[in-house]
Amino acid sequence: MKKYICSACDYEYDPALGDPEHGIAPGTAFEDIPDDWRCPVCGISKDAFIPMN
Amino acid sequence: MAPRKMKPGVYSVGAIDWDRRLFDSLIPLPLGTSYNAYLVQGESKVALIDTVEPGLAKELFANLDELGVKKIDYVVCHHAEQDHSGSIPAVLERYPGAKVMTNQKCMDLLASHLRIPTTACEIIADGAILDLGGRTLQFIFAPWVHWPETMFSFAREDKILFTCDFFGSHFATGTLYADDEHHVYLSAKRYYAEIMMPFRQKYGTYLQKIDALAPEIIAPSHGPIYRRPEFILDAYKDWTSDKVKNEALVAYVSMHGSTKVMVDRLVDRLVSAGVNVKQFDLATIDIGELAMALVDAATLVLATPTVLNGPHPAAVYAAYLTGAIKPKLRHAVILGSQAWGGKTVDVLKGLLASLKLEMFDPLMSKGLPTAEDLLAVDKLAETIQARHAALVAGV
Repeated sequence: MKKYICSACDYEYDPALGDPEHGIAPGTAFEDIPDDWRCPVCGISKDAFIPMN
Repeated sequence: MAPRKMKPGVYSVGAIDWDRRLFDSLIPLPLGTSYNAYLVQGESKVALIDTVEPGLAKELFANLDELGVKKIDYVVCHHAEQDHSGSIPAVLERYPGAKVMTNQKCMDLLASHLRIPTTACEIIADGAILDLGGRTLQFIFAPWVHWPETMFSFAREDKILFTCDFFGSHFATGTLYADDEHHVYLSAKRYYAEIMMPFRQKYGTYLQKIDALAPEIIAPSHGPIYRRPEFILDAYKDWTSDKVKNEALVAYVSMHGSTKVMVDRLVDRLVSAGVNVKQFDLATIDIGELAMALVDAATLVLATPTVLNGPHPAAVYAAYLTGAIKPKLRHAVILGSQAWGGKTVDVLKGLLASLKLEMFDPLMSKGLPTAEDLLAVDKLAETIQARHAALVAGV
């Protein structure tokens, strides 16, 4: 599963860790996160994230 | 600039800004720019595609008057940035009854940036079709070109794709079409590097969608119009790909010449080793040129003396911008002069950290470089040459 990076603030979403504080369990692929999820650091919308190599 | 006919019922009605030399209070415009707006007339309805920078609204109106336009039904707003949306309030006043057709995000930004009331807008969905009577416009959402709300529209019968800022160039010219491809290429590449590059990984899907639509004409919001779309599509495919070239960007600033001695030696060795070098003096640089050079480079060399216990501010500016426009660089190295300590390397490394580059060991001299320092520079040149050879072979 790929990691994704927020293009606005460089926060990295790691699927192994998820974002449990906002209801995203560890092990959740980025693609499976609901579209209304926002970056936990800067609040920008999910579509601002870019896959990391 | 007079209105120009593209097809029967489709006109270019925007304004050329020949004399503008700075954009966003940041980006030099050596060749001026234009704000392209288009009029699309169907049998029953008339649509205006985007508007112009507010200061040039009267040129837009002169063009519309010359075409005998008495009524506008729709103002399609692809992008809330004021150089395109800024004349919407004036248009709505001049053509009462016109509705702003746009997406939800754009409507929110039009309210926050221009106080355009939501009652003046009608929300359209991704893929929605606007029927003008014998002519239809299809909306294609394309976020992050270069703001979150951006979209395109496709005049399906005419096969004209209106892409707003995507594929744009800051190039003022009296010629409507991008037939002078050599010049337009450079302006379009500079434009891409300055504002589009951070989001390049999102563009693969958009380019595929555009290939599938097979437009005859691509009409952006700045610069000449493409009637040979493959020209700009191929360019974007190249720039947005993960492939880097055998190029090293050497950006330096030197106060009394010690840093410059190392720069000269490095550039000498790189050129001898067949590495393509682009050298820039950060004290006098046009940052658009720096951005352009970052589109293809594999390695960034940032050279600076130490002043006020850190890097020269010009080097900080360059590092910050590089981090912000997110080029596809693979490696970087910091070198320069630091005779009595300071945090030069750490500050610059911090600014480039988000790019996750391979950082070669920094080379700092204590004033004028010694023979040993110069041998280290030679070794660095060899390392860069070898890394580039591996990249070009492997990718």
